[in-house]
Amino acid sequence: MRAGNRHGELEEILLRLEKGKISTEDAIEKITVQAPISYNEINHRESLEELIKELDRMIGLEKVKKLVKEIYAYIEIQKKRKEEGLIAEPLVMHMIFKGNPGTGKTTVARLLGKIFWKMGILEKGHLVEVERADLVGEYIGHTAIKVREQIKKSLGGILFIDEAYSLARGGEKDFGKEAIDALVKGMEDYKENLILILAGYQEEMDCFLKSNPGLKSRFPIHIDFPDYELDELIRIAESIVEKRQYKLSISAKAKLSKLITQKRMEDHVLSGNARLVRNLIERAIRKQAVRLQKTGSFSREDLLTIKGEDIAEGDV
Amino acid sequence: MKKCLIVGKPNVGKTLFLIRFGEYLGLQNIKINHMDSSGRIQQRQYTIESAKKALSSSEPFQTESLQSIELEIPILKGKKKVEIIDSSGLIDGIHQNVIIRRGMAQTLSAMKESDIILHMIDISSYGTHHLINGLGKTDYQLAQYGLRKEGYVILANKTDLLESKSKIIQLQKEFPQHYVIPVSALTGQGFDEVKTYVSRRI
Repeated sequence: MRAGNRHGELEEILLRLEKGKISTEDAIEKITVQAPISYNEINHRESLEELIKELDRMIGLEKVKKLVKEIYAYIEIQKKRKEEGLIAEPLVMHMIFKGNPGTGKTTVARLLGKIFWKMGILEKGHLVEVERADLVGEYIGHTAIKVREQIKKSLGGILFIDEAYSLARGGEKDFGKEAIDALVKGMEDYKENLILILAGYQEEMDCFLKSNPGLKSRFPIHIDFPDYELDELIRIAESIVEKRQYKLSISAKAKLSKLITQKRMEDHVLSGNARLVRNLIERAIRKQAVRLQKTGSFSREDLLTIKGEDIAEGDV
Repeated sequence: MKKCLIVGKPNVGKTLFLIRFGEYLGLQNIKINHMDSSGRIQQRQYTIESAKKALSSSEPFQTESLQSIELEIPILKGKKKVEIIDSSGLIDGIHQNVIIRRGMAQTLSAMKESDIILHMIDISSYGTHHLINGLGKTDYQLAQYGLRKEGYVILANKTDLLESKSKIIQLQKEFPQHYVIPVSALTGQGFDEVKTYVSRRI
């Protein structure tokens, strides 16, 4: 449709030239000189900066931030190259995200979708989150249909497959293999308009990629999501409470770090978990409400503050 | 088939160049497709001599609409076809004659669709302030456009009228980023270079 419009514009200019309404210079100027930046584009640019700032505000994730800046620079240069008539390669940006749960994989994917949309790489920039059950069928032929459906849904955006390694489990007769084949076909067919992200635990993903050597080469971007450090988790906690207009007392912070350290000792997988922090905070906010209700009288300061006693000890 | 458009101000020698270039590539009879503004194409056949007489003249605006010939350019051991399109001249400002304005609109439209642009100027009048023949605003605009367009070359025509090379040097200095080929549609000077340039891009 956009091409149609542009064509219409050209004809309009030529018609005005023919009717003697504009001079030849004006006509050439309008045809050859690039259109000035439209308001839309300015808006795009502003909010793109906003989105990149949002990414920058995320705690940790240094590699992802660097990557996005690289891609941004690459896109700009490709545009310039196109203007100069040089070969501009389309970007292949299928990715693999490796890391424990709660390390920011989905959050980053969602943000990348928006950023790529603003950069003009993706048409819509939405995120379709799927897992094994959404892709693998129950009988022969069913799988390909399911995969195609998901790909169709995610055209113009990102198809995010969580725990992608589970596609390869279940042995020879499992339909997971069929799903992988259908995905590979889809990503080749729609490489201009679809970004595929496979996500999962580090070790399982490595194993999965090793068993499917063709897959690895099709995903040029690999990002590791390392576990958060203790102080990063505390910073995440602070940013969560800040967003909700609460604050953590010193005792609450101490309790939080104690709890997180304890969890790390007990359970390795949850060790780097931002989700754990979020859950702890959610629970603390509820407990604070109960505590305040019991006392009956409270100041503004009381309403704001989460104290050590609000942080729950038990299971989260 | 790639399209190669000759553009420039009126009376710089576009049509004569088209006919003579055809002759240079071995045509004895020349089939010219005349395309009017509604897109209708009429083919007429000429001998080289009759084409020169009928189509080119020393008066400006002899060409009122697009006219093209198909040429085969030998490349290595084979041949490649290219459509060379001659256009009506572009002038600055608003011309009072609607036929001429229509011709210019057609020229600009063809410019957007062409793979190669041969921008022809009259080097013999370059640097002077003659009303029609010196470089006009449109020439500078085309040169500007050429910076972003692949396959844009300046043909400095009428070198046969030059006494020295100083004007060509001057022109190349003014457009340092462009490739300038000095040609003479009359004598055939520079046709080799044009052929090489075109054949590399088709």
